[in-house]
Amino acid sequence: EEWNVSVWGKRRAFTEHVEKLAELVSEKTDGEFTMNISYGGLSKNTENLDGISIGAFEMAQFCAGYHEDKNPTITVLELPFLGVRNLEEEVAVSHMIYDHPAVQEDLARWNAKLLMTSPMPQYNIVGTGDPRSTVEDFEGMRVRATGGLGEAFRAVGAVPTSVPSNEAYNAMDSNVVDTVAFAQHAHLSFRTIDQATWWTANLNPGTVNCPIVVNMDAYEGLSDEHREALDSSVDEAIEYYVDNYQNNVLKQWDQILEEKNVTKVEFSEEELQKFREATQGIADQWIEEKSAQGIPAQELYDMVKAKLAEMHGM
Amino acid sequence: MTSIEIGLWVSGGLLVLVLLGMRVAFAAGTAGLVGLIWIFWEKKDYAWDEFSWALGVAVKTAGQVPHSKIASQELSLIPVFILIGYMAYYAGLTKALFDAAKKWLGWLPGGMAVSTVFATAGFSAVSGASVATSAVFARIAIPEMLKLGYDKRFAAGVVAAGGTLASLIPPSAILVIYAIIVEQDVGKLLLAGFIPGVFSAVVYGGLIVGLALTMPKFGPPIRGFTWGERLRSLGPAFPIFFVVLIIISFIYNPFGDPLGTPTEGGALGAALIFAMALIKGMSWSQLKDALLETAKLATMIFTIIWGVLIYVRFLGFANLPRAFSDWIQGLEQSPMVTLIMILLAYAVLGMFMDAIGMLLLTLPVVYPAVMALNGGDLVSAADSTFGMSGPMCAIWFGILVVKMAEFCLITPPIGLNCFVVAGVRPELSVQDVFRGVTPFFVADALTIAGLVAFPGIVLWLPSLA
Amino acid sequence: MAGSAAVLEDGSALSRLERALYRLEQVFGVISGLAVLALMLLAVFSVGGRHFFNAPLPGYVDWIQLAMPLIAFLGISYAQRDGGHIRMDILIGRLHGRPLWAAEFLTTLATLLLIALLIWGSWAHFGRSFDWDAPNWSRDSTIDIGLPIWPAKIIVPIAFGVMAARLVLQLWGYVRALVHGGDRPIGVPLMKSAAELAAEEAEHVSGLDR
Ligand code: NA
Ligand code: NA
Repeated sequence: EEWNVSVWGKRRAFTEHVEKLAELVSEKTDGEFTMNISYGGLSKNTENLDGISIGAFEMAQFCAGYHEDKNPTITVLELPFLGVRNLEEEVAVSHMIYDHPAVQEDLARWNAKLLMTSPMPQYNIVGTGDPRSTVEDFEGMRVRATGGLGEAFRAVGAVPTSVPSNEAYNAMDSNVVDTVAFAQHAHLSFRTIDQATWWTANLNPGTVNCPIVVNMDAYEGLSDEHREALDSSVDEAIEYYVDNYQNNVLKQWDQILEEKNVTKVEFSEEELQKFREATQGIADQWIEEKSAQGIPAQELYDMVKAKLAEMHGM
Repeated sequence: MTSIEIGLWVSGGLLVLVLLGMRVAFAAGTAGLVGLIWIFWEKKDYAWDEFSWALGVAVKTAGQVPHSKIASQELSLIPVFILIGYMAYYAGLTKALFDAAKKWLGWLPGGMAVSTVFATAGFSAVSGASVATSAVFARIAIPEMLKLGYDKRFAAGVVAAGGTLASLIPPSAILVIYAIIVEQDVGKLLLAGFIPGVFSAVVYGGLIVGLALTMPKFGPPIRGFTWGERLRSLGPAFPIFFVVLIIISFIYNPFGDPLGTPTEGGALGAALIFAMALIKGMSWSQLKDALLETAKLATMIFTIIWGVLIYVRFLGFANLPRAFSDWIQGLEQSPMVTLIMILLAYAVLGMFMDAIGMLLLTLPVVYPAVMALNGGDLVSAADSTFGMSGPMCAIWFGILVVKMAEFCLITPPIGLNCFVVAGVRPELSVQDVFRGVTPFFVADALTIAGLVAFPGIVLWLPSLA
Repeated sequence: MAGSAAVLEDGSALSRLERALYRLEQVFGVISGLAVLALMLLAVFSVGGRHFFNAPLPGYVDWIQLAMPLIAFLGISYAQRDGGHIRMDILIGRLHGRPLWAAEFLTTLATLLLIALLIWGSWAHFGRSFDWDAPNWSRDSTIDIGLPIWPAKIIVPIAFGVMAARLVLQLWGYVRALVHGGDRPIGVPLMKSAAELAAEEAEHVSGLDR
């Protein structure tokens, strides 16, 4: 049994759980069940769900925000200022949502079964010029942010600009944008950190949600032994991913902030509350729109908020 | 049969289809589709009742490629870069440039041919496509050279070779394609092409002067222009410099002030020349003509892109790129020898493929191997094999490969520039043009050797940005 | 580039059909060209909006993605009509008469098969992005401002449909050429046609003497 797995870019922290999963599954089955992980060779990243639906490959990674209409239910996890603080919390809320029948039904349209998430840190922003630490400071700020996150910044008076990620460095260099919102590993690899003088350490405006899915027929066609090997490896793979991200990327991030003397902007609780209030309309609108499509949107949203409150001990 | 074997068989089949005269885009698409069907059916051990499944999956996988690969922002630079060239023609810039070049350089031995080379170099600064540049100059420069008694084949060769400058001097469609395939910064690559482009033009010019000095009845110098006439000739060509300034500014952003991205710079330059053409009285039928020509050339390029990408998608399933990279790294010879062999392989391949098809077809396989040879994507200059950092190696190799690809635009049997020149000039056959362009092979070989030996020619400008 | 002159015409049914299709292809070609123009203006608005009004065009990238298929696909049949898609004619260029038309017939047939299968595949690609019951009929949207993608995706099977019609006519033309023999069949692109090229050349050069 050999599965083709479609991911994109280069091997990096963001794909380490897939690599680990392949390794574990192969070990557990004595090399009978292997995975051939292809970085962009099998599909374009925004077409991975299509490939799964066709049956061209058996496993794939994608990000919900790339194409909201393909996966309206999962985008609940990309709403702004949900209050996710770290990767463990991101994993917990994601997997809870993936287990919901409405979400599974949504993905079943693509003949896809959700296997696990690829937890991404919050898209905190790096910026040039004077640090901005209040809602008022965001007025007129040109920020590179796409999709829902862009909407969130628009809600607080900023001007979101769509620049492709590989042009983000130049866009900052030429003041096309003042700030860029990325996860830390992307700030590092697209070198936006090299331009930055400040970073919002705790703004936590939101993130993208990028699940790993498998083709249902392929999954059901596995022998019991192979399926068991796959299922039982998920938790370990995720754990490996989170460890790796924290011990490598985030540690390197802290070092670079220090080396380059980048100001860490910490927002006060009142300021954060103002951000939440200013962007609540986006969540409300999401709920309204998705409910109209017959999705239990309110329920999904409430589940996420309740889970986070529980984890924050509130 | 292993998937790599299937990959090799299908690649051989592709070569046969191309040799049989099937259009390159559709030959590649057919090979890719057949390969996909083969790969998926092989997965089911060639069971008859699974053939329709394999066919369906393969067709749907291939059917994604045209839309999904073409709908990209970076590729949008290509039609804009082509349009800008056609608009410059209608704005009268081509003639103005040619006139200025003639007045300033005509006194040299082989003066009209040298002028043509430098006029194409100037025009290259507003034209993104070699083919379009050759087409435009075939219309204005060849008749003038023929009037002076140049050999018609050589005159055609000058224009076909001069056109290749358009792909090095920014804006350049093919550098955009390279940047997209290897995921490198478009702006820096465009910038890096500038000096090698000018360098190539100087080598061409030197070659022509040398030929004119050694061969009798080559073509007379044109003398007798006053300095006043020379200075006045710069006026009409001036907008070129302005547009160059815009495009370079957007690529380079030298003022540290907000300007924009290369995409926007190209479009802005095109808009300016468009406005000029309108002011010069371009009629609707001329505009329609320019738009149709742009659409046709862009469509042709895009068709090759998606056709070849269906084949590349198949290669992805066959896992051929990884096998190749492992093989290259396992070679027991010096990396520089390997690099030179790769460049030579491009020269051979270019005899069978057109430039864009060749780059699209090979880079997914060759680029990772070359980067690995240098020591990886992020290697520092000190630790590297070729003495340059990873990103700089990507730029250097890009310029080398694009120069090779341009070289192939003038090599038989499918040197596109030569076809275009022959297509525009009724008095010339393709064979005539290929014969006339032969001396420029030598010039290009010298240029490429220079760029390999002195990477600074390529890397100096982008290292400033 | 040879323009439209390379296809011979007469009063036959094939030629009349061929010219009717050519009119449609020309319209598609012009739309494709206008889309390039639109792309250019879009960038001007984007830059202008950002510099003069601090208001970048929302979804600039999304609009480009929707416009690109117009540019890239609509003209495919227009280019095929004139033999504009490049190929290697080192071998086929040596053939004349019936052997040439037989070779052309075969590669054109293979192209038709490819295009027919790609109509199926690209239609399926469109189908996955389209849903009668969804808002805007959309099941796939752009990343930034969530525009529905299906209008861009449906362009591909439409353009390929016209292309298939063109290929069928060309096959018909090659069959006729095989039956009648000779070097100047109607309805198919001819490799060289110096007289017509010259006529067109004259037209272009006169355009320069303004
Ligand atoms: Na150029
Ligand atoms: Na000719």
